[in-house]
Amino acid sequence: MPVSIEVNGEAHVLDVEPTRRLLAVLRDDLALTGTKHGCGEGACGACAVLLDGRPVASCLLPVASADGCAVTTIEGLARHGTALQEAFVAEDALQCGFCTPGQIVSATALLESTPRPSREEIRTAMAGNICRCGAYPKIERAILRASGQDTA
Amino acid sequence: MKPRLVKSQREMEGRFEDVWVLVDDEDEVETWPDDASLQVVGSPAPRQDGAVRAGGAARYTVDVQLAGMLHALVLRAPVARCRVTGLDLDAARATPGVRAVIGPEGPLAMNGDSPLTAEPAWAGAPVAVIAADTPEAATAGLAALAPTFEALAPLDLETGLNEQRFTEDPRETVRGDPDAALAGADARVELTCETPAHVQSPLEPHAAVARWEGDSLTAWVSTQGIFDARRELARRFDLAPEQVRVISEYIGGAFGAKQGAGTEALLAAELARSTGRPVRLALGRHEEQVVGGRRAWTRQTVTLGARSDGTLAGIELAAVVDMGAGGWIFPVAEPVLSIYACENVRAMVFPVRTSLRAQNAFRAPGVVEGVTVLEQAMDELAAALGLDPLELRRRNHIDTDQGSGLPYSSKRLLACYDRAAELAGWDGRDALREPHADGLLRGMGCATQIWWGGGGPPAHATVRLDSEARAQVTTGIQDIGTGTLTSARMVAAEELGLPLERVFALGGDTLPNVYSPVSGGSMTTPAVMPAVRSAAGKVRRILLSLAADVLEISADDLELSGGRIRSRDGALDLDVVEVTGKLGNATIDGSGARGPNPEGFRVNTFGCQIAQVAVDPGTGVVRVERVVAVHDVGRIVNPLAASSQAEGGVLQGIGYALSEELVIDPTTGFPVNGHFDDYKVPTIADTPEIVVDFVNVPDANLPNLGAKGLGEPPIVPTAAAIANAFAHATGRRTSAVPLTPARVLEALA
Repeated sequence: MPVSIEVNGEAHVLDVEPTRRLLAVLRDDLALTGTKHGCGEGACGACAVLLDGRPVASCLLPVASADGCAVTTIEGLARHGTALQEAFVAEDALQCGFCTPGQIVSATALLESTPRPSREEIRTAMAGNICRCGAYPKIERAILRASGQDTA
Repeated sequence: MKPRLVKSQREMEGRFEDVWVLVDDEDEVETWPDDASLQVVGSPAPRQDGAVRAGGAARYTVDVQLAGMLHALVLRAPVARCRVTGLDLDAARATPGVRAVIGPEGPLAMNGDSPLTAEPAWAGAPVAVIAADTPEAATAGLAALAPTFEALAPLDLETGLNEQRFTEDPRETVRGDPDAALAGADARVELTCETPAHVQSPLEPHAAVARWEGDSLTAWVSTQGIFDARRELARRFDLAPEQVRVISEYIGGAFGAKQGAGTEALLAAELARSTGRPVRLALGRHEEQVVGGRRAWTRQTVTLGARSDGTLAGIELAAVVDMGAGGWIFPVAEPVLSIYACENVRAMVFPVRTSLRAQNAFRAPGVVEGVTVLEQAMDELAAALGLDPLELRRRNHIDTDQGSGLPYSSKRLLACYDRAAELAGWDGRDALREPHADGLLRGMGCATQIWWGGGGPPAHATVRLDSEARAQVTTGIQDIGTGTLTSARMVAAEELGLPLERVFALGGDTLPNVYSPVSGGSMTTPAVMPAVRSAAGKVRRILLSLAADVLEISADDLELSGGRIRSRDGALDLDVVEVTGKLGNATIDGSGARGPNPEGFRVNTFGCQIAQVAVDPGTGVVRVERVVAVHDVGRIVNPLAASSQAEGGVLQGIGYALSEELVIDPTTGFPVNGHFDDYKVPTIADTPEIVVDFVNVPDANLPNLGAKGLGEPPIVPTAAAIANAFAHATGRRTSAVPLTPARVLEALA
């Protein structure tokens, strides 16, 4: 079944099994490997992408559900560079970096809805993104920094 | 003197071995004095590859996609012990898209034992493997195998202990007369506590991609040891080292679990050999949680006897370790043998065989487990003696390694206690036990950290400076997320007197054949950074010599810093490019080797953590509110990455203390919580305020840099400090870690 999705501003019509997960299509068919497969069960956040601006777990989403939608991946965000990416680097809010694309996608969605989030709002919004290296204190700082707030 | 081979000793996680070391006097550099005004080292620096990682452009092993690449899946034992009674290999081979199926009978191109078995002895053991055009076809092929198994009773721990079913002989280490010392002690406490099976859970699972070109193999492996992986693959496939290239540029976490080639690279290389196509084998999350590895479950009983002044008279430890199928017995006894001064110690370790995979390394293996129990017993002893817990620890301080009788190369643990107490507000801790408006019970606890972390030879590096005064540092470091490549960049930049942005460090590839050790044992910084500095020092000397020729001045009268060459009299001040620019296409090259460790010392790291917790007596939920972590690891190369390491270690320690525990179904022997929704690792919502500080005084007996390793120390004392804070808050202890709500409610009942 043909599925029409816009990925990072580029229109694609894909002839794919409708139940294949969006993550697999992004990584295997479109070679957008920045989005990671962390658990495949919607429990870690590494596969987060924006679907019409909302963060979703692309490892659970059948690609047919994205038909007609605009998908933004980390590559789309990185194309123009964002304050969040700069803040993640400056604050050292990443270690192995495997979860980082998902973290930045989730944080992008947070700042879209809440431009100046409190620490509590950050901790609630980002609780679905696991960082096994434990960069959390610096992820919090990076989001504060990117939103122009005091990190101290 | 000419280069020579010298016998020296190297240490890896407490195991000492004699090695020959290449000693070249040209590698010697003057150790930076404590008060040296360094431009780069010691100042916070973001990772050199931060933007690549944050932009999603970093290529991890699981991201490698090659033309014609096949996808491999493994059939695994569904119960811990069984016999395969049926396996339809032909049906799997006939499945559309399936290109190769290998069962327990092979055939295999590789030498040695097959990773596949028809008689699995542990949960998740590999039985067969399939490679197919797509992951979907591989899944269909796996289903077509239609395996049948005869389940056997799993080997459980208690039966194994009673029947003395050990993976090797139990170990007993004795010094002095512990029986008499404990019998005659003024105060005596005994504490038994279980510690959980703790799963490394790297977010990138174990994975490998293999590609053959003729008789040469390229393997992308998510591994902590590219040279170990190369050696293993060369041996298994009967190849010369240069016929194997292992690449591990980005690794999505490892924490001890990813050693050598692993089953993944062996099977991927095997399948790629038989199909003539590249093959990727990446574990799924459930596979990773079940077979990726774990810190061993233990049950330890610690008995402490003390004199009335608090000094320890005797210690006894009996530790039962769930080894699974085997593996090295990690140093669970080390804390009782070495943290505190005590002449009379007995440590017994019983390594029981069970039906899990062999336990393997997880960040500070053994010592986390040992400290978690010993340090709880120390707090019980402090209570029995009416002493402040930190004061008790100070009274048992020792500057000598009691096993070897050698002094520590440096030990600033007392400074760690003082600083941690100050940062945590230790003196006011009893006020926390006053009633709180929110109904929570609060307390504060401390624990001491010990670990090794001195590194050692061999480790090599090369530095190449080009005409634009840009330097490339080549190492064999696989940066598993610690930021050690950035540290290598900083050390080279410092020695070369170049701004950071003119230096770039490479690693994660065996092709240049520049050896670094495995990323483990907290050894990368102390092993590799001296080699980097020595290599850069040679380039610096050549550069200054060339500058002296160009400027017609003695090299001794020139200085190099900030990318400029200056004469000491101030008359000359020019950009370094004015000299290097004359090189054209030539480069200035230097190589460096890590020298031997200093004779007559033991090199260890030390620290103290203090945790504050809040306990909800109604729900049994424990929240960590604050952790202060102060560690002595010698010189800090990059304070930014160092604080990240410390925070990450503390967070994994919080998981170990409160929520992480692999639970085994006793009827099948199979883990029941091999997923992220039931094996609970900490999230940002669980993260307390973490205050990190370092003594940051270079170790004067570690030549070249005076820096020790930091990967492991921060996880060591966290769980003990939390358990002690819980006991301070509630007056109770749980019989096992983690402090789950169920255990807490039981303890409070």
